[in-house]
Amino acid sequence: MKMDYDIKLGVSLYSYQDNYYFHKHDLEGCIAAAAGSGATGIEVMPEAMIPEWPYISDSFVDKWNGWIERYGVEPVCLDHFSDRAMWKNKQLSDDQLFERSVWYIKAANKLGCSLIRLLHNEHIGVGISPYRLTDVKIAERLLPICAEYGVTMALECHAPTTIDDPIHEPYLEVAEKLGLPFVGLMADFSSYEYCISRADVGQVVRKGGTEKIINFIRESQREAYYKGQPFVYEEIKDRVEKMKPNEIDREFIEFHTKSTGPASYKVLKDYSSKLVYIHAKFYDIDENGQVDNMDYPKIFQALKEGGYKGYICSEFEGNRRMNDAGWVDEIDYIRKHQKLMRKCLED
Amino acid sequence: MYDEHVLTDEGCRNVWKNGKKVGYCVNLKINYYRGLPICCIDQISLEVDGEKVDPSSMILQHNGKEYPYLEILKDDFPTDVYWLFGEKLRVVVKREGGIDQGRHHVKVTLGTRRSYTPTMISVCEKELTFA
Repeated sequence: MKMDYDIKLGVSLYSYQDNYYFHKHDLEGCIAAAAGSGATGIEVMPEAMIPEWPYISDSFVDKWNGWIERYGVEPVCLDHFSDRAMWKNKQLSDDQLFERSVWYIKAANKLGCSLIRLLHNEHIGVGISPYRLTDVKIAERLLPICAEYGVTMALECHAPTTIDDPIHEPYLEVAEKLGLPFVGLMADFSSYEYCISRADVGQVVRKGGTEKIINFIRESQREAYYKGQPFVYEEIKDRVEKMKPNEIDREFIEFHTKSTGPASYKVLKDYSSKLVYIHAKFYDIDENGQVDNMDYPKIFQALKEGGYKGYICSEFEGNRRMNDAGWVDEIDYIRKHQKLMRKCLED
Repeated sequence: MYDEHVLTDEGCRNVWKNGKKVGYCVNLKINYYRGLPICCIDQISLEVDGEKVDPSSMILQHNGKEYPYLEILKDDFPTDVYWLFGEKLRVVVKREGGIDQGRHHVKVTLGTRRSYTPTMISVCEKELTFA
């Protein structure tokens, strides 16, 4: 089918973490799985799947390039988590984190990735990370290195933040000031969840939560979304209380009822042309082939209409929500997810 | 996530030298979705049959190298040595006479520091058969 959009689909190999952890597939197997799902690009977490990390030998590069050719995929992105808490009593200094970040930029270049997903200090909002991640001052120092190696820092804007949260702006401003456009915003679909995922319902129930209560909240969220109204927990709180939630329910409710609905599709459309990368996160896929708590058709419509150019990579996070109950078939989830995304592009 | 897989049932055995038991070992896997520098291990506490193992008697072996446990806890330990994702970290406990062959109750508490979340502490308990 003809596609008029400059949008490509990839897979973050993170999605296959259980296959890797339990030795069902090595890095080549994960690349093969991604290619087999129909994806044309891959994202790799070096600390997870490159055994010689932080060093990348020429022989590894040769092997990597061989896989890239054999499986017909392109390297898209390398992850950099900005780990700073190296020791018990002290953390990496800014200079040390800067030097470490240079490793990732050089590694991305060696492996043919033009992006690093950088965890910047505000990626999940302010004051949540226990450590200061890569901040705007360090990012500013990294910009010339990025320019030298042709690598762009993708700033993941993860829920509870969104792409239009002003906390991400200083990074773009410093790039503009220096005339080095090697940093950009990256949307993560976590910002577009409109209800609790079934994957989370299952997990909290196995921990001792009350299925009836969690499903009632989930249904209320869905109802609000499909009516085009914000979800306000206070409006159903009395009914929840009558069902006598236990401590596990309460902890779960506290975390999962803060959002009133997905971030704005209009804003997503407006920002689309300047996004540099996108994570299509998901936890579960329903019987209709849809992600069970995000409106993929609407999200894709916004991205297409807004003129997004670049990769959208599957990021499956259902494994860690469901693997306490048994094996999670990551390969099949990704296959279905890629199929859904292709359909969203074609429609 | 991987809490129940931290303590593996693979390779538990006595460690021998010149025909004598000089210790025993268990194998751990990481409690996170990627590898971490070994210096990001916040704690490994072992209890065998209800008895706490002396941390100074523990030696870690991973990816062809060996480190006394207390060394990796020191500030400025090298940051380029990784505990590989999905790969076993062998904990050797030095103990004259080793451990009685057979089943023992083993409890491990593993803490790891990571970039954007608080230290993750996983507790894993199993009945393991030592060779």
